[in-house]
Amino acid sequence: MTAVLSILKSGASRKVKFLALFIAVLATLSLVRMWADVLDLTSRGTISAALGLAVPIGLAGLGGLWAERAGVVNIGLEGMMILGTFGAGWLGWQYGPWAGLLGAILFGLLGGGIFALATVTFGVDQIIAGTAINILGLGFAQFFAKIAFSKAPGGGPTQSPSISALPTFTFDRLSDPLVSLHGKGYFIISELAGLISGVFFRLSILTVFSAGLFAATAFILWRTPFGLRLRSVGENPHAADSLGVNVYLYKYIGVLTSGVMAALGGAFLAIAASGVYREGQTGGRGFIGLATMIFGNWRPGGTAIGAGLFGYIDALRLRDANGTAMRAIVLLGALALIVLAILAIRKKRYQVVFGLGITAAVLISWFLLTTALPREVALVAPYLATLLVLAFASQRLRPPAADGIPYRKGESK
Amino acid sequence: MLAVELQGIWKRFPGVIANSNINLKVEQGSVHAIVGENGAGKSTLMKILYGMQRADEGTISVNGKIVEFDSPSDSIEVGIGMVHQHFMLADNFTVLENVVLGSEPTKAGSIDFAAAKSRISEISDSYGLEIDADALVGDLGVGDRQRVEILKVLYRGARILILDEPTAVLVPHEVDELFEALRGLKSEGITVIFISHKLDEVLQIADEITVIRRGTTVATLNQKTQTVTAEQLAELMVGSELPTPETRGSTVTEQVVLLVSELTSVNSDGKAEISDLSFKIHAGEILGIAGVEGNGQSELVEAIMGTRAATGSIWINDQDASKLGTRKRRELGVAYIPEDRSRLALLLDAPLWENRILGHQTQAPNAKGIRLTPKLTKMDTKRIIQEFDVRTPGIDVLASALSGGNQQKFIVGREMSGNPILLIASHPTRGVDVGAQAAIWDELRAAREKGLAVLLISADLDELIGMSDSIKVILRGKFVADADPATVTPQQLGNAMTGALKAAN
Repeated sequence: MTAVLSILKSGASRKVKFLALFIAVLATLSLVRMWADVLDLTSRGTISAALGLAVPIGLAGLGGLWAERAGVVNIGLEGMMILGTFGAGWLGWQYGPWAGLLGAILFGLLGGGIFALATVTFGVDQIIAGTAINILGLGFAQFFAKIAFSKAPGGGPTQSPSISALPTFTFDRLSDPLVSLHGKGYFIISELAGLISGVFFRLSILTVFSAGLFAATAFILWRTPFGLRLRSVGENPHAADSLGVNVYLYKYIGVLTSGVMAALGGAFLAIAASGVYREGQTGGRGFIGLATMIFGNWRPGGTAIGAGLFGYIDALRLRDANGTAMRAIVLLGALALIVLAILAIRKKRYQVVFGLGITAAVLISWFLLTTALPREVALVAPYLATLLVLAFASQRLRPPAADGIPYRKGESK
Repeated sequence: MLAVELQGIWKRFPGVIANSNINLKVEQGSVHAIVGENGAGKSTLMKILYGMQRADEGTISVNGKIVEFDSPSDSIEVGIGMVHQHFMLADNFTVLENVVLGSEPTKAGSIDFAAAKSRISEISDSYGLEIDADALVGDLGVGDRQRVEILKVLYRGARILILDEPTAVLVPHEVDELFEALRGLKSEGITVIFISHKLDEVLQIADEITVIRRGTTVATLNQKTQTVTAEQLAELMVGSELPTPETRGSTVTEQVVLLVSELTSVNSDGKAEISDLSFKIHAGEILGIAGVEGNGQSELVEAIMGTRAATGSIWINDQDASKLGTRKRRELGVAYIPEDRSRLALLLDAPLWENRILGHQTQAPNAKGIRLTPKLTKMDTKRIIQEFDVRTPGIDVLASALSGGNQQKFIVGREMSGNPILLIASHPTRGVDVGAQAAIWDELRAAREKGLAVLLISADLDELIGMSDSIKVILRGKFVADADPATVTPQQLGNAMTGALKAAN
């Protein structure tokens, strides 16, 4: 563990650092799996389910990232996601899943457009406008679902008829042998096998597409002139304006893209995850997406890792019949706290070390004294993780400097 | 060869004429300074030259050709670049990202970072700017940031640079670095237009100096062909003789107004910011505190005002004020001109008449019992504006709309209202123009004659020596010397301030 920490601190390239971190995570998982004796921790089913649960959260987070990089705080992601589920359901059951995706994109543009009009053109407080979008998105979807789906075959006032499925990929020749390798329970190797087999098991084309969106976002925002300009609008719009960047235009693009991404997250829920539009389907994932974006330091890679964490814990919760996996999660949490404590010792923040140590000790004794835990533990785990990240990494978080500040041309300081 | 020529420029705003019949000729490859008081119309003129505003009348020629600017992008096109007084930089971006923004070199659709970097280091090297392209702007100091701004306009191919009050934010050694960089630019044939009201700096760097007074160009002086003095410039700027800080005769009385003994204040790290300070100020006396900034002056003022915890005793007019809160102390008759007017003396986003209330919120004419009396406040605000010559369109404008000098005159007016007995003035003329400076000195003199006790803290040694009846030198929170303003020279005072030697006396 300390070896990994020193690699992370060293001047090694990002690839090396990432690899070191990845191996450390696998090793930890492996240790926990052996100690708690829960093979399901990294099984094909768990990983596959985690991926499916992570995608909508991740897309919402990516939506948040596009808006906030352009300097607009978007807490209306949830509402935009709901619009996406409705759009996907409405066009999806009639014209197929691809049309459903198109529907989600259109409704995402609608939500993003209204939000941009309010926040960018009229300079309305972004938190208030976002809350309005959440209420509006929900009300809109409920109202029109009643009209659109009530008389449809197999539909109802709160549910659409089913949407035909999109293609999924399964690479049995790769996946199946890896599953048996996973069953052997080798240190690290089994974890790796489980991970790969999970990724290539019933892989939805939408998941591949989403991964592509993450990569595209990273490239566009950090490598192209367009992206530099969009980010400059979120950092110092007056400076951008003085160099001829059309601030309003870039803010619109950011917010509209944000709406589309969040709506695609909704579409994934409707099309890939359940095959129908259902009221309340998003279940607060827009907000969780916002949390993953903050967890990920307003960057695509970090957001993806955050979404993966939320998805993973959610998957374990859903698959955990007897509470043993939850028990393992407690141990995992304790180990994570110990790592944070080691970091804090290096920074000589002894109060923090003390707090972390106590919490870790409580979690470990909880782990030792029980054999199973209620599933509800998992419900708070991701939030707890986000809170911990915010509490311990807040000095290193770098939100865009002009995030949340309405821009008025000519009104420089 | 003229880089820029302005002929007969007029610019009117509703109610004011900002520029009238401006004529300006700037030689190529020279440093041309434009000086004038705050509000004389320098900034408007530069906005016209940079294309941010259009002139109502007159012509602009660049490199001999008549041009018309609709927006800054037009002026950038003919090679004019502007370095704003408030930096236009994104802190979370690297130098490279800040510099290329808006005109990025690309390769196959993505930013060509390698090309940008070599271009930036090329410019940085050839003009001696010493900028690392990969540094995060947020990590840079003020001087470095300014050079990034200069790099930014050079990167866009500017051959004519406009610098708007570039030294306002710099400390002395950064000013030297900037001037070094400007000389480098000049030697490469770049034309620099330098706006300032700091005369000594202008004399240091400029080849030619154009003076603007009340919106019009009154003279252009050439340092190569004639000797130019600060007095001469100041006279041209204000249209009259340069004011000097001096007081006549002694008005010091026997009555002690402020008695401070053994005042000590410790910061959160347990270090004493000020220790064992004892002094008294009589009615009609100005006590000056000399010291290099950061040696306890601010802490002393805060302790007297009651905004910083301190031990020791403070008596104001024979009343023990040591245990009183700030409001009670002010009600005893303490007027206060803080060192940082925008942070401590004004609500920038509130109208002027609301600012009149600050610090006097329990006293007439602002309040009667628990009720505020805005009508009376507004009337009194009008009085202050008239009596203290605060140049503002009205009492309903936001405080931020006033120039620094006018803000300061307003603050002085407010603080002198309600018959105070003690005035604490921290850097009262810092960052204000010559006209406002003279007005503020007049007020200090008037206060002294009226019998106020005045504590004056200033970094301007001429001001300190000219105005004070006695001077104490503070070093690391302790008084290290007394000086007699009648005999001490600024050099002796400067030595005492750095602890080099005891002041003469």
